Amino acid sequence: MKGKSLLVSLVILLALLAIMPLSAIRADGHCEFAEDSITIGALVPLSAPGSVEGGISMQWAIEHAVEGINADCGIHIDGSHYRLEVAVGDSEGSPERGQAAVERLIFESEADAVVGVYHSAVGLATMTMLDENGIPTVFSEPWNDNVSANGIIEYDGRPPRSADGIDHVFRISPTSTMVGSVVVDWLLSLGVENVVLIAENTDYGQPAAADETARLEAAGVTVTQLDVELGTEDFVPILSRIQANPVVPDAVRLHVTGETSLNLTQQMAELGIAPTEDTVCVTNQYAFQSDTYWGTVPDGNYCAFNRVGIIPSLFNEQGIELNEAFEEAWGKLVPSFAMASYDAVHIVADAMERAGSFTDAAAIVDAIEATDIELSQGRYHFMYGSHNPDLPEGTPAFMWHQWPDPIVTVMQYFEPNQSALNAAVIFPEVYQTHGTSYIVPGTTP
Amino acid sequence: MALFKQIQSAIDNSIGRRRLGYLLLGLVVLFFLWFPNDTSQSNYAKTVFISGFFYAILSSSWAMLAGIAGQFSFGHMAFMGIGAYVAGLFARDGITVAALGIALTPESISAVGAIIIGTIAAGAVGLVIGWLLLRLRSSYLALFTIAFSELFRIAMLTEYDFTGGSNGLSLRPLLEVADVDTARQIEYYLMFGLLVACLLVMYRVAHSPIGIFLRAMREDEDAASALGVNVVRYKILVFVFTSMIVGLAGAIFYSDVGSERIIPEQLEVLQMSLIIAYACIGGMESLLGAAAGAFISRYLLEAMREVIITLPFGLTMADGSDAFVWETGAWRFALFGLVMVFTLRYMRNGLLFPIFNWFSGRDLVLKETVAKRKHDDDHVAMLEDQDE
Repeated sequence: MKGKSLLVSLVILLALLAIMPLSAIRADGHCEFAEDSITIGALVPLSAPGSVEGGISMQWAIEHAVEGINADCGIHIDGSHYRLEVAVGDSEGSPERGQAAVERLIFESEADAVVGVYHSAVGLATMTMLDENGIPTVFSEPWNDNVSANGIIEYDGRPPRSADGIDHVFRISPTSTMVGSVVVDWLLSLGVENVVLIAENTDYGQPAAADETARLEAAGVTVTQLDVELGTEDFVPILSRIQANPVVPDAVRLHVTGETSLNLTQQMAELGIAPTEDTVCVTNQYAFQSDTYWGTVPDGNYCAFNRVGIIPSLFNEQGIELNEAFEEAWGKLVPSFAMASYDAVHIVADAMERAGSFTDAAAIVDAIEATDIELSQGRYHFMYGSHNPDLPEGTPAFMWHQWPDPIVTVMQYFEPNQSALNAAVIFPEVYQTHGTSYIVPGTTP
Repeated sequence: MALFKQIQSAIDNSIGRRRLGYLLLGLVVLFFLWFPNDTSQSNYAKTVFISGFFYAILSSSWAMLAGIAGQFSFGHMAFMGIGAYVAGLFARDGITVAALGIALTPESISAVGAIIIGTIAAGAVGLVIGWLLLRLRSSYLALFTIAFSELFRIAMLTEYDFTGGSNGLSLRPLLEVADVDTARQIEYYLMFGLLVACLLVMYRVAHSPIGIFLRAMREDEDAASALGVNVVRYKILVFVFTSMIVGLAGAIFYSDVGSERIIPEQLEVLQMSLIIAYACIGGMESLLGAAAGAFISRYLLEAMREVIITLPFGLTMADGSDAFVWETGAWRFALFGLVMVFTLRYMRNGLLFPIFNWFSGRDLVLKETVAKRKHDDDHVAMLEDQDE
């Protein structure tokens, strides 16, 4: 009896295994794909010490983009439809592992193009390798200025990538400089004269604070910097130093990440330091996760924060669809790096179609340089490349092969428990949603 | 079992286990020498091997420090980092010591010179740490080295203007070979040669009188000292020795041989724990076992990123491919953890130890000794019975 049951179970299992793939083929049967397929390499961090959560989101977005393209019968070249496949390389957030993963994508998976990269160190370590092997690449998250700048200037002893006539690497995420300048430009537009910067003692907090200090001081603003350790829960001693100072600061700017930034913001509000009528509160972009923010910072109304990536009120149709799919899969708003990864696949696919090839790297690079396409984050184009190699004086080198319009904004809550989707965009002026660059506490826009 | 005993007996009566072991080791070395010449292998495969050799050096040198000398240190990756960072910084910035009249410009320092300076720096810090650790044992020693390791990592992370912070520090390339394939082949032999050289030197030390003193120190420091072993000298010596080995390996590996830049995350305790795990799996008291454990673990961790099962009967998957691909990337470390748990519970000398032990013939000596003791005990018992 026992043997009979086992036999029946095995037969059912084998039948299921046989049916499963066949039925899937039928569902996809409306497209007649060419025998060859196109491989998109996804270089993302999926293991520690890399940012695994970021890597998984990026992988999801890349696969989602590929699914959508394949559902539209893939990439159309010379009357044939080519299916897209994704080969995933786990960078582990480490240059060493990232380089190995790139070699795997190039030599084992035979990737025709590469998208992704979360950590700048991985981008810096792999960009030369990708260029030397002639792989059209669109980076979607590393911020370091040199990732794009090395296209035309020397970096770390390495000659410009374009020195041999063709640079295969593009970037659609903002550069560190782009991100850093927005809050400073906004504060200067408010006419601040005295700013307190509170920075965590990490490689994020210290350089970011140093960069902003230099910009503010260059504009004649007095800056006082206070350092805190990540994980600290009681900030009263540090905040007391601000209170003890007879000069009330015009703004308190936090360069502290994660939960720590929320604790600090709440204690700052409780002590009446900021936000007040006299002092602007500028907290971390983590405040965009409004449920978490209001859970920890109930007194944080009127705090401003910077946001990298397109704001929900500006989502186009593609952005809305992508966000809905992401929310369904992960239960939260789609992050900018997932949107960028999704768009990077479409940029490559579009370029391959226009180039009429998925193997001619030079033609694909030319096509990416000539990109003019509306995707989830907006209109993509590249101002400087071999099509326009002369950067005007004063234009930073990082603008080479760089999408010039990644959206970095300053937002502000103006009602308690307000959703981030309804928070006001106050800077830059072009994205303002409530016609003002600052909402003074106690008022409504 | 009977068949195994027959084979064992045949080997013992013919070539002998030890000779067979050397023969197999020779074949393994020949395989590694031949591998880069296999034209079917891509550069990626060579990169995986290069990384395996690097971790084999780290793991075997840690086995020398902890397994043979009994100094359970968590600072090994920090010493590796010191070698790499110092080499990178000297090659980039040069050095000026006005008091000594030394002024070396970056242009005057070659990649080899920078590597030597990095190795010496690692040894010098090893000397200081070894001296500071003289009075510390077991958990205090481990805690101290964790603290030292974190101190160094955080310094590299926060002094971003100087070290590059989390963007990492790019070292001067050791090789200037334009052709990528040729360069990778040279890098492969360089790293393999370094592994063989390090293992030979460590083997020589471990099997010299110094090795006996180190083992005596590991078993009981006080007893060793009472018997005349200069514990202070050998403790410092082993720290300097292993620090220089990993400093050299780090400086070479990150001089664009295995990777073109080092980042502080590479020095995290998590990475250190992987080195310890490799050594434990291979065998903490065996240099070759620890090296093999590291190489095999690195290789399997890379190979297990995905499992591909070719479908039978002409079946195809939804995407038209004839294979089922299981992305095991996230699970491979969990599996690695299970192997580690199994090893520590059931095979504390490492998974490879029984194999090395068998080839060395030590189990025969052990059996002989046990049999002799049993015979002596039986004889004594018999005499006692007769007396009664």
